[in-house]
Amino acid sequence: MESPAEYESGRKPPKRAAGRPLAARTKPSPTKKPGARTKPAKTNKAASPTAVHAAVQTTVHTPVKTLAKRPVVPTPQEPAAEVLVVRGLSKSFDDTVAAADINLTIAAGSFYGIVGPNGAGKTTTLSMITGLLRPDSGSIVVHGADVWTDPAQAKRQMGVLPDRLRLFDRLTGAQLLYYTGVLRGLDAKTARSRAADLAAAFRIEDAMGRLVTDYSSGMTKKVALASAMIHSPRLLVLDEPFESVDPVSSATVTEILRGYVDAGGTVLLSSHSMDLVQRICDHVAIVVNGSILADGTIDEVRGDGSLEERFVELARGGRTVEELEWLHTFSN
Amino acid sequence: MVAHLLQLKLDILANSVRRSRAQTLGAFGGALIAIAVAAVILTSVSPLQTTTSEIARVLIVCAGSFASFLFFLLPLVFGADDPLDPRRFALFGLRPAPLALAIVVAGLVSIPLAVLAIGTLVNVSVWNADPATGAVAIFSGILIIATAVLAGRVCAAVAGLALSSRRARDAAGMVVSLAIAVSAPALVLLGMSDWESQVLPIARRVTTFASWTPWGAPWSAAGDVAIGRPIDAALKILIAVLTIAVLAAAWFIIVRALSARNSREAVVVERTALGWFARVPASPGWAVASRSLSYWGRDPRYGLAVAAIPVVPIVVVVALLGVGVPAIFVSWIPVPVMCLFLGWLVHNDIALDNSAFWTHIVAEVPGVADRWGRSIPALLLGVPLILVGSYVTALISGYWLAVPGLIGLSACLLLVSLGISSVLSATSPYATAHPGDNAFAQPQPQSDAPSGSGAQAIAFFGAIVLSSPVVYFMVLGNADTASWYRTALGAGLAIGLASYIGGVQLGGRLLAKRAPELLAFALRN
Repeated sequence: MESPAEYESGRKPPKRAAGRPLAARTKPSPTKKPGARTKPAKTNKAASPTAVHAAVQTTVHTPVKTLAKRPVVPTPQEPAAEVLVVRGLSKSFDDTVAAADINLTIAAGSFYGIVGPNGAGKTTTLSMITGLLRPDSGSIVVHGADVWTDPAQAKRQMGVLPDRLRLFDRLTGAQLLYYTGVLRGLDAKTARSRAADLAAAFRIEDAMGRLVTDYSSGMTKKVALASAMIHSPRLLVLDEPFESVDPVSSATVTEILRGYVDAGGTVLLSSHSMDLVQRICDHVAIVVNGSILADGTIDEVRGDGSLEERFVELARGGRTVEELEWLHTFSN
Repeated sequence: MVAHLLQLKLDILANSVRRSRAQTLGAFGGALIAIAVAAVILTSVSPLQTTTSEIARVLIVCAGSFASFLFFLLPLVFGADDPLDPRRFALFGLRPAPLALAIVVAGLVSIPLAVLAIGTLVNVSVWNADPATGAVAIFSGILIIATAVLAGRVCAAVAGLALSSRRARDAAGMVVSLAIAVSAPALVLLGMSDWESQVLPIARRVTTFASWTPWGAPWSAAGDVAIGRPIDAALKILIAVLTIAVLAAAWFIIVRALSARNSREAVVVERTALGWFARVPASPGWAVASRSLSYWGRDPRYGLAVAAIPVVPIVVVVALLGVGVPAIFVSWIPVPVMCLFLGWLVHNDIALDNSAFWTHIVAEVPGVADRWGRSIPALLLGVPLILVGSYVTALISGYWLAVPGLIGLSACLLLVSLGISSVLSATSPYATAHPGDNAFAQPQPQSDAPSGSGAQAIAFFGAIVLSSPVVYFMVLGNADTASWYRTALGAGLAIGLASYIGGVQLGGRLLAKRAPELLAFALRN
């Protein structure tokens, strides 16, 4: 296993000036750069990018290698591409505003986290991005294709893990992976071999012959994540990928996602675990009540404190807990 | 220990009225049914006493074998949660032999067994006139009760062992509901048939066979003596005693094994192959088809619907015969009706996916591929059904000229209903049993949600209306020349294919347009 320090060194995009408008953000390069993220005095120079890459290749299992070989990775000469551009995205249900004028620009090769309290609109936003929920207004462009006007092209670039939606769980794990692969246009041989590779990488080979309905919730999550990656998309949109996943599996998943990002892929995930987002993402957006209150690199957003502190501050809007003063005087 | 377990069983029985209101009502309902059955049994005493010995014996054996058989069958289905499961006593470290005995004695306290006991008393009272037959009846009555109580224990334990998996219980429940569904029209048929000329001969044939089975043998012994066949009677008593011996041995072995091993070992079925997926080309449409085929085979919600298809024509046939439709037309009914229902089945297919439908949306599965893929299982069942069914129909009716017309009509109904269903499942989904839920559970639709009766009716009557020209040609074939049957074949195939292709195209387009709304619908229900 690599140490976290090695991860943190290898692939950080240059820090952008805080406070500039979202659209004008400096695009991080998709290739691995000697890191400039100001993580407190860790061994930034200890691992060269190649070393990191080699380490990823040896520790992470075969499918990541397969993914790394994809021609998706832009060459360094190319300008860094925006893999996802969201403009003015809004959605309300009856009187509730679930998303209000959401703007997001995600550069290829970023590991982007969306955090927010329960009911903040994370799932709504991600559902609209993945084409599962029709927005009231706004546009979503994935690698140049609009999700709602050119869905075939846009969805081909995207791997999706929704939260709390069922799978076709009367299929075995192997059948489910193969099914998703073929629906995504893979041929039989590729679908079969990638399914086997993914099963090995996620360490669920033993469960491949069983019906998904008999899986534990963590295993279900892993097989769903594997199906999201089977067509080697440019962009992975993952809603709560770490919920109900045990620490060991969580480490496996993190490792796979990091390998994917290192190879030029882009991950957009939502979570309500600040810790996790601070640890594995390089960019973050804080969503509260359907609006993005802050976004940027982790360091920009968190400032001096931890991401969690910043988040609580933003989410609460400066209010402190005062309502329970009677709790401070004890009854006799 | 016998006293303890007896007390336990009595408490369980008494407490069955102390649970929630629904459960108490259920217990009372069960008791009412038991009382009703007992009343029916008791009213049969005097007719049985006045009729001839031969007829009394036939009727007692038929009814008795059926009743005894239920004591084997019902615990198999409902016995998995038996309160006197020997495993429940494993922690007490009891010796198996006394435990086996105690459970059996406690098992005597049960309402169905009381009803069975009334039945054996009727048997005694019918043969009481002669001391010899009376004695045989009393002795066989004891054997009947002993068999029933042992069978109940053994079968409940087997159910707990073999049917501990969810799937097995789904399947067993389905078989029983089907048996009940089939027996209802059979009873109607029986009630409408002439007693002397039709029912009695069948009952006699059944008796000849049933009286030699473990279930019928003790019921038959006294009657055998009465009609002067003492050797048969002795052999049947022997069969009954041997049955009890086998059951008792099995029971003892089960108790000894179970009280030593408490856990139910989960049966893990490993499926390494890709199943249907490996047998078809790798394209989205065929993938949807093989996914559907797997579900039709594995998901009880589909299995139940498919299993009900052969039942539907029975009801229709009985009804039509009842109102006096000529037999030749009635013989034409079953195959087309089954085809109609086969195609009708998929009219709410997307709602059955529930939220798993997102997989198709994010993969942007072409709507048309989704539509025809989902119709493959119905076609795969339907085509052999049409060919074989039409042949069998001709074999029964002896009217071979109509075969082309029959094929045309059946194919038309199947294809038209598939076409209509392909559109409806994209436009008008309605709430249905969730994946993994009981296949019988029909959720209460929310007030603003469609109840589904509209879609059901459109799918059903739409197919009939579109196929009516073919029916007309069939009637002409019967009234005029047989060449109309060939016209019916041509027209049926033409109308069917046109509707199917049109339905798939239209449904596919609507599906592509409405996919997010369909998912939103699934999430609300």
